[in-house]
Amino acid sequence: MSANPKKGFVSSTLSYKGGIGHWSWILHRLGGLGIAFFLILHILDIFMVGVSRAAFEELLFIYHEPLLRPVIWALVFGVFYHALNGLRIIIQDFWPHMFRYQKQLATTVWVIVIVLTVFLVGVDIAGMLA
Amino acid sequence: MQVTLKIQRFNPEKDSAPYWKEYTIEAEPTDRVLDGLLKIKLEQDGTLTMRSSCAHGICGSDAMRINGVNRLACKSLFQEVGNNVTVEPIAGLPVIKDLVVDMEPFMEHYRSVLPFFINDDPPPEKERLQSEEDRLKFEETTKCILCGCCTTSCPTFWATDAYVGPAAIVQAHRFIFDSRDQGSAQRLEILADPDGVWRCRTIFNCTNACPREIKVTEAIAEVKKEILFSKL
Amino acid sequence: MTTRYARTPKPSGSTFEVLSWFYMRASGALLALMVVFHLIWMHYVIGLTNIDFDVIAGRWTGPGGIFWRSYDLTLLILASLHGMNGIRFVTDDYIHNRGWRAVVKALIALVLLLMVVFGGLVIFTFNG
Repeated sequence: MSANPKKGFVSSTLSYKGGIGHWSWILHRLGGLGIAFFLILHILDIFMVGVSRAAFEELLFIYHEPLLRPVIWALVFGVFYHALNGLRIIIQDFWPHMFRYQKQLATTVWVIVIVLTVFLVGVDIAGMLA
Repeated sequence: MQVTLKIQRFNPEKDSAPYWKEYTIEAEPTDRVLDGLLKIKLEQDGTLTMRSSCAHGICGSDAMRINGVNRLACKSLFQEVGNNVTVEPIAGLPVIKDLVVDMEPFMEHYRSVLPFFINDDPPPEKERLQSEEDRLKFEETTKCILCGCCTTSCPTFWATDAYVGPAAIVQAHRFIFDSRDQGSAQRLEILADPDGVWRCRTIFNCTNACPREIKVTEAIAEVKKEILFSKL
Repeated sequence: MTTRYARTPKPSGSTFEVLSWFYMRASGALLALMVVFHLIWMHYVIGLTNIDFDVIAGRWTGPGGIFWRSYDLTLLILASLHGMNGIRFVTDDYIHNRGWRAVVKALIALVLLLMVVFGGLVIFTFNG
């Protein structure tokens, strides 16, 4: 017998049907963590430019390897989403009445993010075919 | 219509963990979820436990998670929630029995923001006057009934109940923006704490959950701005 | 002077959280523009498959060298601080044990320091 159980935050977070704001937050947070992790790697790989030409060329597969493209595209999407959703949050934080248009703004974010992502993925694919 | 209610049950004297149980009842589309629960209690299982008092959306006793979102059982009609309904206690607070949770942590946060009128000036002969415009600044937040729907819909509160929570901030907002009140500085100082307003990630669940349709996230943002501009 | 009302725990009166909250917005707005420009530049103007040592070296030592070094340095500092502060928020939300929280926060601070040092070193000292 265990007294006073409390629903854990993981199951609450995943099971709550909170709508677009709730899912935006989850994506914003996961995306932020992913970007921060890539940023650490990115600083290290660019640091190699300063070490030597050969050391950096060892790492060029990150940008050239076609098999890694889906990872790069996921990252591109994550960056665009985090940036645009962040701008939405800033707008709402400093002009609180904009929270009345939460749904419309969140939808706008999605539209812009999809357009930007499709554009860059298209550019990358065109570059691979060329 | 026939309605199936899947209810989370827990009896601390018998059960080691909460479990789900299904009940089927006959109900009118215009019946409320609360009516359904009371019908089950009356006709099928007298041990089913929940809080309710006025049953008209004013006392704020019967907040529960219905079909995955926080609502008042007395303000949810079967015609809007459908005939397959899941009912569980609001999250982030310890379950005492079935749908009843311990509201004390919630009330503790409520008390912490000094939710009462502070004015040390001697009382005037008539009432303390206020312009219509000044009154409108906190009109929204006077509507709070402390049901807990907002605070227990907040992912930050689920993760850490040290967070003061939307309801307490709404209550603080009601006094902070009251031109007759003199305790704003103290309340802002309390809410500027690491466990105060900064824990709000503008997720918006609170605004969606509020049965009084208070624009909760907006009120929190106004408090944040007030603190920011008083500190900068 | 209004009456002081007791409350436990007493508010700390620290401005750290409000500044950190404001920093996330200010740097976030700048970063949104700078990172989107960075991505479009690297993918569209240069092209991923064309990236190599000479492109990066030319960027820092060519005619626009000062511009690109400042751009990259600003991006480095704003983004590292923004990212590590974000991880600190997540730590505050989910790690409740005081000891573990302190350990993780110390680690975040160390990683932040290393990011700025490593990144800054190459941007400042690179000479082809």
